[in-house]
Amino acid sequence: MVKVKIDGRVVEVEPGTTVLEAAEKAGVEIPRLCVVPGLYEGSSCRLCLVKTPTGRLFPSCNYRVYRDEEFLASTPDLWEMRRVNFELLLKFHRIECWACERKSSCSLVQLSKELLVDGIPVCSECPLPPSECLLLKGELCLGMIAQSGCNAECLVSGGECWGCRGPITREDVLERAFARYKELGFDVKDVVSKAEIYWNSAPGFATVKKVAERVAGRG
Amino acid sequence: MGKLEGSDEVGVLPDKVFEGVPKAPYGLLEALRRVQAVYGYLPPEGIRRAAEYVGVPFAQAYGVATFYHQYSLEPIGKYRILVCMGTACHLRGNSLNIEFLRTFLGLKAGRKTTEDRMFSVEEARCFGCCGLAPVVVVQKPDGSNEIVGRANPRTLRALIERYRRQERGGAK
Amino acid sequence: MTWTLLDRCCEKCTHSLENPCPDYIECRLSGPLCHDDERCRELRRRRLEELRYGEKGAKIKVPMASCTLAMGAEAVYRAVEDSVKKIGLEATVAISGCYGLDFIDPWLELAAKGMPTAIYANVKPSDVPRILEEYFVKRDVGGAFALKEKTGAAKGEDKVPLLSELGFWAKQYKWVSRNCGVVNPESLEEYVASGGYRGLSRAFKLGPEATIEEILKSGLRGRGGAGFPTGMKWRITRQQKATPKYVIANADEGDPGAFMNRLLAESDPFRIIEGLTIAGYAVGANQGYVFVRAEKPLMAKRLQKAVEEARRYGLLGKNILGSGFDFDIEVILSAGAFVCGEETAMIAAIEGKRAWPRQRPPYPAEKGLWGKPTAINNVETLAHAATIMAEGAEKFAAVGTEKTKGTKMFCVTGAVKRVGAYEVPIGTSIRTLVEELAGGPPEGVRVKAVQVGGPSGGCIPASLLDLPLDYETLQSAGAIMGSGGIVVIGDENCMVDVAKFFLTFTSAESCGKCIPCRVGLRVMWSILDKITRGEGTEEDLQVLRQLAETVRSASLCALGGTAPNPVLSTLRYFMDEYLAHIREKRCPALVCRALITYRIDEEKCIACGQCALNCPASAISKTEGGKYRIDESVCVKCGVCYAVCPVKAVYKVSGAG
Ligand SMILES: Cc1cc2nc3c(=O)[nH]c(=O)nc-3n(C[C@H](O)[C@H](O)[C@H](O)COP(=O)(O)O)c2cc1C
Ligand code: SF4
Ligand code: SF4
Ligand code: SF4
Ligand code: SF4
Ligand code: SF4
Ligand code: FES
Ligand code: FES
Ligand code: FES
Repeated sequence: MVKVKIDGRVVEVEPGTTVLEAAEKAGVEIPRLCVVPGLYEGSSCRLCLVKTPTGRLFPSCNYRVYRDEEFLASTPDLWEMRRVNFELLLKFHRIECWACERKSSCSLVQLSKELLVDGIPVCSECPLPPSECLLLKGELCLGMIAQSGCNAECLVSGGECWGCRGPITREDVLERAFARYKELGFDVKDVVSKAEIYWNSAPGFATVKKVAERVAGRG
Repeated sequence: MGKLEGSDEVGVLPDKVFEGVPKAPYGLLEALRRVQAVYGYLPPEGIRRAAEYVGVPFAQAYGVATFYHQYSLEPIGKYRILVCMGTACHLRGNSLNIEFLRTFLGLKAGRKTTEDRMFSVEEARCFGCCGLAPVVVVQKPDGSNEIVGRANPRTLRALIERYRRQERGGAK
Repeated sequence: MTWTLLDRCCEKCTHSLENPCPDYIECRLSGPLCHDDERCRELRRRRLEELRYGEKGAKIKVPMASCTLAMGAEAVYRAVEDSVKKIGLEATVAISGCYGLDFIDPWLELAAKGMPTAIYANVKPSDVPRILEEYFVKRDVGGAFALKEKTGAAKGEDKVPLLSELGFWAKQYKWVSRNCGVVNPESLEEYVASGGYRGLSRAFKLGPEATIEEILKSGLRGRGGAGFPTGMKWRITRQQKATPKYVIANADEGDPGAFMNRLLAESDPFRIIEGLTIAGYAVGANQGYVFVRAEKPLMAKRLQKAVEEARRYGLLGKNILGSGFDFDIEVILSAGAFVCGEETAMIAAIEGKRAWPRQRPPYPAEKGLWGKPTAINNVETLAHAATIMAEGAEKFAAVGTEKTKGTKMFCVTGAVKRVGAYEVPIGTSIRTLVEELAGGPPEGVRVKAVQVGGPSGGCIPASLLDLPLDYETLQSAGAIMGSGGIVVIGDENCMVDVAKFFLTFTSAESCGKCIPCRVGLRVMWSILDKITRGEGTEEDLQVLRQLAETVRSASLCALGGTAPNPVLSTLRYFMDEYLAHIREKRCPALVCRALITYRIDEEKCIACGQCALNCPASAISKTEGGKYRIDESVCVKCGVCYAVCPVKAVYKVSGAG
């Protein structure tokens, strides 16, 4: 057995154990996306990076310990790096949580909460499956353009989203959201004026209006 | 070995095509190169034969074929014009040269081969002849290379016109 | 058939492929060793002289390397053969490698007994008859570019400098490149005559452990980029229990602007083969691979030929030189992917897989090819190892710096008068290389920066030219040693555009396996693109820096790990240029096309019409005054007119027009 110290917590593991497995044992949270033990250990997502006390970085999913070693898994710079990296990962993801069945079981959604990135709408947390979306019943819900993180409080309690946590600003998501409002027969202007209640002075509102106008202007 | 002209049809691979290629995974790069020398590109059937020859799964060979710059999965031009995009060549004007070639040959965005399959224009990596920058290399139908040093739109235009003349002459 | 140095001298020689003599190599130069016979000694002496002056006492060498071939060496070779016949010269025509002096390409070297050996520069086929006539018939060397020695026997000797006195030669320390341009790269005999394979013989005498010890003592560090101590790498590989083991020569020289590996492999391939054999012996491997870059096929051809020759003479194969050591080499030509130069990617490529790097540890020395211990070294490193084993560690360590011993080959390209490959002691200043060896920038150009270490190196400003070239100094200046490519950037270039160019390269070459490199570089590229279009903001610079840091530290392999260097270094040294693009929407070097306008100076225009003929947008037409003018509303700012105008009447001004 070898001793692994992660964020100050010490666990004993078999030699050859990955740092990630050791961390789980120690109760230290490390985000990960790409590893499927025995199937894919290619270390592609780089979200699980941990640091040695000398500052060297290794993906914890892939680094195996054969002697006593120490790692840091939760320093602010690691979390910042994970955030930037996760944003890159989301960059080319076609975010359409309203149409997606996975909702809260989605790893991207879960990580987005930990890492506070822009672009994941309240729909990701909505308890209603896509087929029961309020928009289909003609109720103007702002979930598609509102920043997630509240666990969709209002929807859970039967109401619709008012966007109290502010707008998302990723233009491709807004673009698809407004297109859907329009497609479902909502007037883009109504959406904007409903949003104005909370977002009048929100920093991202200008972007929302810009995209709304662009979508409204299209034939 | 000339390539099959003017058709997408895959001819029979000559038996000798893999002669001398090691029957081991490290022979795959060479085996694929031989296939490409026959057809001018890599048709799936050719990839399958190369994979079988060196003993790796087809999927793996396909993954390799799509990975490298020098393999093409679509038919390419008879004259393959490789424009060096190395540092020295970029600084001395090859970005301009490639744009000139593309416009001059009427290549639309995303296309690398002319309609008549006479010319392909591709970006290439440093040929290690940086002293002659900017460098353009033409892989000619007979398999030989023409290295053009200190290339500029004027010399490239003359080059293309020369090839065209040769083709016209040869067609008769 | 002529007797060659590699043949047995007489019946008393016991050497054969089946029963090789351990002293075979030493015997070639100072033999016979096992018996005493003046005739055998004389035979060797005569042959050595023949190798120098040819069998007929006169020799003409034509360099056949990619660079000289591109400059027409083949036509020169044919012209030489023709004139030799026509003049009826008794001379041997031979090929050689290349000196690495691009500015004299193609060149010729003439030698005859009693005459000084003379080099002729920039030879055109039509010059050949005259040159041969002058040298061999009139015995006049006045037209030569340089002489290798002075004899006083030929006319015009005082008009021509000695090669060893010329700055770009005198300042070099020819260690690993000593044979480049000197020997016939296809002749094992010439390699052995020049002292080749003494290193391997000595390694066999010392044994593997002591061989590693010798390399450790020399202080040799890997010349492929990271500078890891070679002896240490070999020792770790040797210590592994798993077998079989492998050695790989990394000949995937991919940095644009670097061609020292190509030069070495095309000019002196046996040195690399010998080095790889020594590596195999030291680590206990019986199989070696050489992986060669696709764009440099002549390199592969020469190495392949060298392997075949070495096999033929028992220097590869079973029981090499009676040592009991079996070793063979396969040469593999890549199909074009920069990432193949990364060691774990190269291993995947040899295994017939996609050349994807994998996370280290485990390092290849522990788990490499087919999961077995593998030592992978750059070809220059291996050539150094062969030379060190022959000449001794002390001689190698006599130059260099405290931390890094020996010499390194550097390629200087870009805005310099004498593009070339130069070998200098580690620790030589960038200025010495750029100004004294490469001759500084051409007239009218000022050096703005030097890019050291290829696309993942850094841009060092002209003010730091006095920095010594060693691993640690370069690293702290924001660059890397890389393979030793130095691109000199003149003041006509825009540093933002240069940074964008390098990202175009690295993002296209990213293998796509990991997120920071695959996506991060693309996003960084788009920010730079935005800035060069004059649409950037100062916040963009913040984002750029943050992305650069993330990509640098989070990427899986060193491609992503170093790709942000050009961005970070230009941000560090050339912030003013970024700010000019952002705040003033101006490209100070007049490069970024969205920020400039092309005009024609009608005063200068000679109305040749070249610009109009070549303009792809048909934006240029004749004015009433007979001169030419650009219609700015049609011009797509491709710059073709600027490039083709013979009198430089086309000029650029700031402003989108
Ligand atoms: C993207 C990338 C490209 C590389 N290209 C080369 C190369 O062309 N030649 C080389 O010798 N090493 C290259 N390397 C370094 C190798 O991974 C490895 O460190 C080197 O071959 C080790 O040999 P050395 O110890 O003799 O330097 C590259 C590394 C990376 C990350
Ligand atoms: S009900 Fe609202 S939050 Fe739920 S999916 Fe529909 S738009 Fe999104
Ligand atoms: S209004 Fe606020 S709390 Fe309610 S669902 Fe929308 S964001 Fe969540
Ligand atoms: S850093 Fe780039 S080249 Fe290296 S593994 Fe990741 S994606 Fe591939
Ligand atoms: S820059 Fe290009 S498009 Fe503009 S005038 Fe010159 S040649 Fe024509
Ligand atoms: S190329 Fe130069 S000289 Fe010739 S017409 Fe154009 S501007 Fe005038
Ligand atoms: S989980 Fe993706 S790199 Fe470790
Ligand atoms: S940069 Fe073009 S040949 Fe090297
Ligand atoms: S002249 Fe040979 S390297 Fe350039």
